[in-house]
Amino acid sequence: MEVLQFAIRKLIGGIPLILGVTFISFVLMVYYGPDQTFELLGKNPTAEEIAEVRAELGYDRPFFVRYGEFLKELVTLDFGLSDSTGEPVSRMLGRTIPISLALVTPGFILGNLLGVLLALVAAYNRSGWIDKTIMGFAVVGMSVSFLIVIIAFQIIFSSSYGLDLFPVRGWNIHSVGDYVMYVTVPTLASVFVALGYNTRFYRAVLVEEMTRDHVRTARAFGISPAKLFYKHILKNALIPIITRVMFSIPLVVISGSLLIESYFGIPGVGKITFDAITSGDQPVLKAVVSLTAVLFVITLLLTDILYRAVDPRVSLK
Amino acid sequence: MSAPTNAATSAATLPDEHHESIWGKAIYKLRRDRAGMVGFAIVMAYFIAASGVWLGIWGTHWSDVEGPKWSPMSSEFWFGTNIIGQDIFQRAIYSTKTAFEIGLVVAVLSTLIGAVLGALAGFFSGTWIDAIILWIKGVLDSIPFYLFVAAVAFALQDNPYAMHVAMISTFWTTTGRLVRGEVIKLRNFEFVEAAKAIGVPQITIIFRHILPNTFHILLVQATIVFVAAIKSEVILSFLGLGVQDGVSWGLMISESTLEVLAGYFNNFIWASVLLFGLVMAFNMFSDALQDALDPKKVAAP
Amino acid sequence: MTDEVAKTLLSVRNLVVEFDTRFGPVRAVDDISFDIFPNETVGIVGESGCGKTVTGLSLLRLVPSPPGRIVQGSIILNGNDLVQLPENDMAQLRGDDISMIFQEPMTALNPVLSLGTQMTDVLRQHRKMTKREARDVAIDMLAKVGIPVPEKRIDEYPHELSGGMRQRVMIAMALSCNPKLLVADEPTTALDVTTQAQVLEQIVELQEEFHMAVILITHDLGVIAETCQRAIVMYCGNIVETGTVEDLFERPRHPYTKGLLESIPRLRDERIAELPIIPGMVPDLLSLPAGCRFADRCKYAQADCLQTPPRLESSGDTGSGVACYHPLN
Repeated sequence: MEVLQFAIRKLIGGIPLILGVTFISFVLMVYYGPDQTFELLGKNPTAEEIAEVRAELGYDRPFFVRYGEFLKELVTLDFGLSDSTGEPVSRMLGRTIPISLALVTPGFILGNLLGVLLALVAAYNRSGWIDKTIMGFAVVGMSVSFLIVIIAFQIIFSSSYGLDLFPVRGWNIHSVGDYVMYVTVPTLASVFVALGYNTRFYRAVLVEEMTRDHVRTARAFGISPAKLFYKHILKNALIPIITRVMFSIPLVVISGSLLIESYFGIPGVGKITFDAITSGDQPVLKAVVSLTAVLFVITLLLTDILYRAVDPRVSLK
Repeated sequence: MSAPTNAATSAATLPDEHHESIWGKAIYKLRRDRAGMVGFAIVMAYFIAASGVWLGIWGTHWSDVEGPKWSPMSSEFWFGTNIIGQDIFQRAIYSTKTAFEIGLVVAVLSTLIGAVLGALAGFFSGTWIDAIILWIKGVLDSIPFYLFVAAVAFALQDNPYAMHVAMISTFWTTTGRLVRGEVIKLRNFEFVEAAKAIGVPQITIIFRHILPNTFHILLVQATIVFVAAIKSEVILSFLGLGVQDGVSWGLMISESTLEVLAGYFNNFIWASVLLFGLVMAFNMFSDALQDALDPKKVAAP
Repeated sequence: MTDEVAKTLLSVRNLVVEFDTRFGPVRAVDDISFDIFPNETVGIVGESGCGKTVTGLSLLRLVPSPPGRIVQGSIILNGNDLVQLPENDMAQLRGDDISMIFQEPMTALNPVLSLGTQMTDVLRQHRKMTKREARDVAIDMLAKVGIPVPEKRIDEYPHELSGGMRQRVMIAMALSCNPKLLVADEPTTALDVTTQAQVLEQIVELQEEFHMAVILITHDLGVIAETCQRAIVMYCGNIVETGTVEDLFERPRHPYTKGLLESIPRLRDERIAELPIIPGMVPDLLSLPAGCRFADRCKYAQADCLQTPPRLESSGDTGSGVACYHPLN
C-alpha cells in the first residue's frame, strides 16, 4: 500500500516534467515548425485556398488552444496521421516499438553485463597490468564514434570486402535463426561503443566501494575475500549501478536505435523518427518526444522503487 | 583529563614547500602522467593544424574539385580524392578547424551556463529558483538529443548555428548538476557565513567566493563536453542536421557511406583516423586532468 | 626464561613498515619491538603521524597494500609469525584470535546490511553455527555491551543508531569470537566526552570478563591514565619509552614523555605565563637526522645524541624501557 502511494505521488510529481517537455516540443516543432500549407496546395494557390488550408490545419487558432489540443492528443494517444505516409501514428508506433526493443535489448543487456564483469576484473586487479589494459581498451572504445563503428562493422562483417557473413541491412525475420542473423552486427556495434563508458563507470563505482571503511572493518573480522566482494562491495555498488542502467534505458531505446536502424534499414522507432526528422513529419515527432518524456518519468519512478529495495537508508517519504 | 598531545608541538608555520594548493599538486601530477602529456601534445598538434586553416595557411582548397574522382593516395593527393574529386587531405585538415570551433564554442558556453545556473540553483537550493532550474534541467534531459537538435533546426529555420545552440542547451545540464551539488556543500562552509556576517551581498558571495572553488569541476567538464560536442557533430552531420557550410569529419564520413559500398575507403579511413586521433588524445588528457584534480576519479591509481 | 616466553601473548620484534610516497619510500614504523602479556591493557600513545595506527594495523596485516608494506620484522602470536602467514590463514585469525576496532563508528559498519547480518556473518565465519544460534549469540553480545532491547535492535540498520551505540556494536562484534587480543584504534576519539567514558568503561569491563589483552591506541594521555596498566610512547616511527602508567606519569625517563606530560593543561598552584610546549617540529620522514630524532627539540641533548639513534633499552621484567642516551630519572 505504501509503495502504491509512493508511486502515485512520484507520478504526479512527474507531471510538471511532462508538461515541460510537451510544451517545448510543441513550441519548437508545431508553432515554429514548418508551415505545411504550401506543401498541400499545388502551384499558384489563391488567397482563399491558402486560408482554407490553414483553417483545416488549424494554424489560425490561438496558441493555447492549439497547445491544449496537442495535450489532448497526447493523453488519448491520438497522434493523428503521419504527414508522409498518412498512416495513423499510433499504429506506426505499435508496429515499430516491438522491433526496436527486439533490436536494442540484447546489446543493452550484454553491454551492461560485460561492463560490470570487466569492471570487476579491473577493480579486483587494481593498478595491475590487467587493470591498465582493460582501462586502455575502455578509453579506445569511448573515443570511437558510433557511426564509424557501424560503418566499419558493416564492411567487416557483412560486405563482400570483409567476411560477408551477415546481411548488410534489413529485418526479414521469420525464425529465430533469422533474428540472430539480423541482430548480430547491430548488437556487436552497440556493445563495442557502450562497453568503454560502462566499464569505466562501473570500475569507478567498485573502486569507490572497495575503499570504504566498512570493507576494512569486515576484513578486520576475517570475512573471506569472496564474501567481502559480494556482500560488502557489490551490494553497496548496486545503487549507482542501478541508477545508471535505468537512466540509460530511454536514451538507448530512442537515440541508440536511431542511428542503427537508419543505417541498417531496420523499421523500428528510431528509423521512423529519423525519417520524421528529415521529412519534417510533425505528428510522428510529437508522438516520439512525448512518449520519451513519459518513459523518462516512469523510469525515474521505477528507479526510486528499486533503490528502496536495495538501500535501507532510503525512505518512502 | 583530555590532553591532545598535538598541543605539545609548537604551532610554527610550515615552510613554503609544504604548502600545496589543489592546482600546484595537480600540475605536478599532470606532468608525470605520460598518457596525459602525450594526449596534450597531440591535441596541441591538432590545434596548430586548425589555427593554420583559420589563418588561411593551409586547407584552403577543401571545396575545390581538383582531381579525378576516387584517385588513390599519391604525392599530389596525399589522401586521395573523394567521389567528386576533392582532395581528401585538404578536407581533412580543414575539418580540424571545424572540430575545434564546435568543440570550443560549445564547451566554453555550456560550461559558463552550467556554472551560473548551477551556482544559482545550489545557493538558493530549496527555493523556487532552484526548483525552476531543476525543472528545466529535467525537461532538457528527457528530450532525446537528436530530436531536440531537429526541433531547434526547424525553429531556427535551418540557421547554421542551430546545431551549436542545441548542443549548448543540452550539454550544460551535467555541469550545472555538479556545480549545484558542490555549491550546496560549500554554502555551509564557514567562509560563507563570515562573508554574510560582514554584509557581503549574495551575488558577490556566489560569484567571487564560492564559484572559484568549483573551477576544477568546470575545467574537467569543459574537456568532457568538448569531446562530446565533436562526437555528436559526426552523427548530426550524418543525419543532415550538422555542419551546413564548410566540411567536417562527420560530413566526410557520411559522404563516404556511399563510397565504401563501392570499395573506396580513403575518405572513410582518413576522416575516421583523424577524428579518432583527436578524440582519443583529448580523452587521455581529460583523464589525466581528472586524476590530477581529484584522485578519487576513474583512471587507474 | 621459558616461563617468560610462555607468558608472552604477542611479541613484536624489529618491525619496519614502509610506505611509497612520490618522494620515495618512507618508514612509518622503523624497527620497533615490544611484548604484550595476556590480560593486560597497554596503551600506545603519541601524536598524529607517529606510527601508532600503522603499528595497530600491522598486527592484523591490514596495512593498505599499495602503498604500504611490512618490510622487516616478526609478529609472533601463539607461536605463529603473523608476518609470514599466508593471507587465508591470516583471515582466519582476524576476528577470532585477534580483533580490531576503529575510530570512525559512523562509517565502520556497512549501511545496507542489518546489524544482525553483520554480526552473524562474523560468527559463522569463525565458528560452526546455524543462523539461529549465531543470532542468539549476537543478541547476547549486544546485551553485554549495554544495548537496550537487543532482540529488536539487532534487525536495525547502522544509520538508526547513535555513534556511541555503533561503537558498542563494533565492540560486540570484535569480542563475539572471544579473541585473546583486542586492538582498539582511537575508539573514542570521535565520540563526545560522556559517551567516551561509557565506552571505555565497557571495554575495561569486557576485558575482565573475556580475559583478553587490549592494546589501546590513542593520542589522549587522559585515556591512557584511566584505562591502561602499561604504555608505549611512540615518536616519529620509533618507540621512545615504555613502562607502567605510574612510572611514566610520575617518573618519565624520556624527555619527550616529560614534555608531553608538562604540556597537559592542568590546575597549578601558581599562575604561569605560558603553557609549556615542546619547541620545534616533528622531523620530516624524508629527511631524518643522523642521531636521535628528538634531539633537535630536546633541552637535554648532548653531542652523542646527534651521532647515532639510541636503541630501546629494556630493564626489569615489567617490560619498561627507554631509548635515550641520557634518560631523566
